[in-house]
Amino acid sequence: MSLERPDTVDDGAVERTPDELEALLGDLVVDRDDHLNAPGFVIRPDTVQETLSILKEQAGYDHLSVVSAQEYENRYESIYHLKKFDDPTQEVSVVVPADKDNPVSESAEPVFRTADWHEREAYDLIGVEYDDHPDLRRILLPETWQGHPLSMDYDKDRPQIATLPEHANPLEEHHKDAESDTMFLNIGPHHPATHGVLHLKTTLDGEQVVDVEPDIGYLHRSEEQMAQNGTYRHQIMPYPDRWDYISAGLLNEWAYARAAEDLADIEVPEYAQVIRTMGAEMCRIAAHMLALATFALDINGDFTATFMYAINDRERVQNLLEDLTGQRLMFNYFRLGGVVWDLPEPREEFFSNTRDFLDQLPESIEEYHNLITSNEIFQMRTIDTGILPPEVAKNYGATGPVLRGSGVDYDLRRDDPYGYYDELDWDVITEDGCDNFSRLLVRMREVEESAKIIEQCVDLLEDWPEDERNIQANVPRTLRPDDDTEIYRAVEGAKGELGIYIRADGTDKPARFKIRSPCFSNLQTLPEMANGEYVPDVVAALGSLDIVLGEVDR
Amino acid sequence: MGTAPAQLFPEFLVDAFGIDSVLGDVVASLIGAALVANIILAFSGVAGPWAKRKITAAFTDRIAVDRIGPYGLLIIPAAAVQLLAKELIVPEGVDRPAWDIAPILLPASAMLGFSVIPMGQIGPLNIHLADPEVGLALVFAFASIASVSLVMAGYASNNKYSLLGGLRAVAQNLAYEIPLIVTAMSVVIFAGTLQISGVVGAQTETLVTIAGVSIPSWFAFVNPFAFVLFLTANMAEIGRNPFDIPEAPTEIVAGYQTEYSSAYFVLFYLGEFVHIFLGGAILSVVFLGGASGPGPESISFIWFVVKVWGFFLFTQWARAAIPRVRIDQLIEIGWKGMLVLSFANLVLTAVIVGVIA
Repeated sequence: MSLERPDTVDDGAVERTPDELEALLGDLVVDRDDHLNAPGFVIRPDTVQETLSILKEQAGYDHLSVVSAQEYENRYESIYHLKKFDDPTQEVSVVVPADKDNPVSESAEPVFRTADWHEREAYDLIGVEYDDHPDLRRILLPETWQGHPLSMDYDKDRPQIATLPEHANPLEEHHKDAESDTMFLNIGPHHPATHGVLHLKTTLDGEQVVDVEPDIGYLHRSEEQMAQNGTYRHQIMPYPDRWDYISAGLLNEWAYARAAEDLADIEVPEYAQVIRTMGAEMCRIAAHMLALATFALDINGDFTATFMYAINDRERVQNLLEDLTGQRLMFNYFRLGGVVWDLPEPREEFFSNTRDFLDQLPESIEEYHNLITSNEIFQMRTIDTGILPPEVAKNYGATGPVLRGSGVDYDLRRDDPYGYYDELDWDVITEDGCDNFSRLLVRMREVEESAKIIEQCVDLLEDWPEDERNIQANVPRTLRPDDDTEIYRAVEGAKGELGIYIRADGTDKPARFKIRSPCFSNLQTLPEMANGEYVPDVVAALGSLDIVLGEVDR
Repeated sequence: MGTAPAQLFPEFLVDAFGIDSVLGDVVASLIGAALVANIILAFSGVAGPWAKRKITAAFTDRIAVDRIGPYGLLIIPAAAVQLLAKELIVPEGVDRPAWDIAPILLPASAMLGFSVIPMGQIGPLNIHLADPEVGLALVFAFASIASVSLVMAGYASNNKYSLLGGLRAVAQNLAYEIPLIVTAMSVVIFAGTLQISGVVGAQTETLVTIAGVSIPSWFAFVNPFAFVLFLTANMAEIGRNPFDIPEAPTEIVAGYQTEYSSAYFVLFYLGEFVHIFLGGAILSVVFLGGASGPGPESISFIWFVVKVWGFFLFTQWARAAIPRVRIDQLIEIGWKGMLVLSFANLVLTAVIVGVIA
């Protein structure tokens, strides 16, 4: 069966009970603080590296999904959400309290590279300081920002002066000798290839890149804080559409829906799950089409036909999504416990439109293969450029098509099933090239798989008995999850693992709402791919990562 | 066809008005130059704001300009007013006057190239300004001045993207100019002359006759290998996909053009279009029998226009369909591939011509 994962003989795949894990960690565990999704071990702030090493090396928890930090009345707290790439249902949380007056905690960066950016964000927004961190600077806010906006004593009325210093070449002295000299180049924040407002601090030696550092935060809109100010039931759902705003809306909504439904123990009717699955895969096609279009733009130049062809196909999906949800980008279609309304009437028309789209899709994909993937120049440009080896990708917490393009078989739709995916017949796509070409190919093949899923959903929906079309579970008007319950739940978004961490405090609003953005972690791998390559390859690598700055910066 | 080449345009004027003096020669040459310049400017004026949009739109399933005037043609004056009315922003620290000369040099050099191109006849008028004995060498020399302009613009702009664009322009032109000219020289061996009328004249005879249709001995048919080589090198020479590396908008913003606005920007664009047309003109002179074609000699200007615009269309097609190569790959193709092939072609042609003739 297609959903069977290949047998892996690895001691990491062995599932350990929470008590066994506690025994493994021994004295490192000072307390237990279990979350809804995983056992939580409280450790001392100076044993972070030791604890995570044991969990990674001996228990096989090789995926640090996210670091979420928060401030309590009496302490600061960083939580390391760990999983296994082999089986993401095996989760464990490492809870690290830090002193209220002197919030210092050991950095996890030497164990998991991905902790670098996540801890910088926690420092920037919450104010936890990480000892032994290689580069603890602000990441989303300007360097001159005063205070930490998500901390309790933050003075939001204080005027902020963000100065604009000239960026200096970090390698100026290091690389200067009789033969060579380096040039510092700001790529972005306004540049045709940055897919939004991203700033790459690039140091060049001729045309070759010796150092590139992504500078993010230009599109930071306090999405987490806005969600913390909204009620679970209705006010949060419109925000996810605005993270990965390029047509992946329903996938984002599902991330919140899944976390909140598990938090409040809401069962979603099967019929609604099928509709959700269908809508989400339509969004995935739209998102991958745009990724393909902009990647062609990066490689071909700005007059390419591929761009418009792919936008045309995306337009067709968007018409379907508009029929379904009434909106083209900011859908706001999911509700906790279901979806907002049933399929549009007349249903037959919607089904036949969807089938028409699915019927012409293979032809379009064939055309893209003719235009780009089978073009020798295109292959010359993308094969063996932007190499991301699987171990490096895992260490950086890369997920989605980026990770699958490096040959790692990891897809939450199959490995941590939700919705209706485990009832359907489809395959997880991987490519072993680890290069720009593989990442593109993964997306193109995933479009075909999504089409298969949509087709099966349409079949199911067509034959669904009329009196069993229940789109919405009974959900209380006001949701108040129990005090001090915590949950981290993720779905397979268009770009990878899109996760939400929520801590409830007994009110109708989350006390902490943390978004694990796949683009954020994926973008962090850019220097690994780009260093030593040519400028055009950096642009290609960035395009193949398919980042959306709305999701990177939140 | 095959008769003595018609009178050059300035000579025709001198005879027609009986102004046979030094002053008369000067006046006739100026009138001739003005006519040719206006033809070329009319091409570029149509191509720039209108034809390019329509062509690109046709390639990409769109409609493009259709609101202003019939078929959107009034976009041409509208774009002219809009572009010229914009403010000319002179960035701090630019190296003047080099920064000001570069945008003038590009269209001027390309336009000069047309002085030796035979553009065919309209009735009794033979639109051909001059026919020096080194015509072909001269036209390549004029076309090459363009790279000087790009380097000047790139270096004088005081912008890192411009500098990268300028450097790329030099690297690209060095890698492609040599194969381009060496390939053209193989044609010169066939024709036995550098004089352009001679090169065109050598292509008038019938190569073969198939089913009553006689195929002329255009060098594209005589030596298709050289034609493909030349076409490829020509794409690099004019800087279009897959070789639009000096501009490469998604990599280095706009390369050497980054800091230019308003009239200077227009001049650069004009220069680029004139350059494409010059590339087409050289191609048609060297490989496609100049302005010749079916029908009487007196309408051969139409064939010239068709060939030049055909080449323009080809460049736009390549732009819509073909990815861009990387600068190091381009240099590799140029020095390791094209150069070797073009010399092989030259030697082979020389041997064949030497043995057979």
